[in-house]
Amino acid sequence: MEKSQYDLCVEVLRRLDKSGALKHIVLIGSWCTLFYKSYFGHIKYAPVLKTRDIDLLVPHPSAVRVKANVAELLKDLGFVVGFDAPQGYIRLVHPGLIVEFLTIEKGRPSDKPYPLPQLGVNAQPLRFLEILARDTITAKVEDFSVTLPHPANFALHKLLISQRRPNRQKEEKDRDAAVRILDALISKGEQDTIKKVFLSLPARWQNKIKKASQTLENNEILSVLL
Amino acid sequence: MKVIKGVLKEELANSLRMKKSYERELARLPKGSLVKKPIKGHEYYYLVSRNHGKVKFIYKGKGSAKEIEKYRQVKHYRAKYRKQLSEVKKQIRFLRSALRGKEPV
Repeated sequence: MEKSQYDLCVEVLRRLDKSGALKHIVLIGSWCTLFYKSYFGHIKYAPVLKTRDIDLLVPHPSAVRVKANVAELLKDLGFVVGFDAPQGYIRLVHPGLIVEFLTIEKGRPSDKPYPLPQLGVNAQPLRFLEILARDTITAKVEDFSVTLPHPANFALHKLLISQRRPNRQKEEKDRDAAVRILDALISKGEQDTIKKVFLSLPARWQNKIKKASQTLENNEILSVLL
Repeated sequence: MKVIKGVLKEELANSLRMKKSYERELARLPKGSLVKKPIKGHEYYYLVSRNHGKVKFIYKGKGSAKEIEKYRQVKHYRAKYRKQLSEVKKQIRFLRSALRGKEPV
């Protein structure tokens, strides 16, 4: 029987955990919000709209000491290697899920893939991902644990990148995700955490987040950030 | 609504890329299947494939365990990838029709 999308995601993470690679990875993107359920507990919280992409952030590629061929690990689940032309980013694709590796872009902007020979893949370097790599939390998923960005970092990152999206629909999706998470954090009484993360960011980033939050028309969020 | 449309568009692009990946993987698999034929009390292996619509048998002798395992794996992955390619094609049809909405076909 074909695995459901959630089961498939858990199986991918389990295999990465068994290979020892998962401890070097932070699960980011819309899929991480699914695992925030345990963090928010009884707080009313709706996971954000997800696409099939599972984004796996490797914050410190040179620190990855394990040797694991991710494509081989997932081959029998039906994943095949897909290349994102023209840059050549490797993605592991399956009709139910797409596994992508990302890393923090340092120095001059470049769209060249960052090689991860230890995992047999490459990663797409992107700006601002350092926000997601700090203050991480751990969520228990069945028999293993997965590292996630703190919800406050996740939401502020979404607001920050929403300003840079050339695509209006993606911009709205980012803002929608940020609002859902920030609302849940405010309901949990974590206004101070949001403020603390916000103030820890460089002034230019703070201004971009402020600009994005002004379009939200959500007074509670505005009162925390402005 | 715009957000949902954006997600559907992104998923359509993903499925189109995915279709190419599965087609490429299928093309990379060695052609044919290994079949066992009992001849005068002995078992011999033949590689069966189609060439311009004609079935072709290539004699492989008693077959090594390594080769038998290789073609068993090929058969397994060919069936798996074909099934997934068919699923991806269904997704593409669905996403295209969902995005088209009430627009004329």
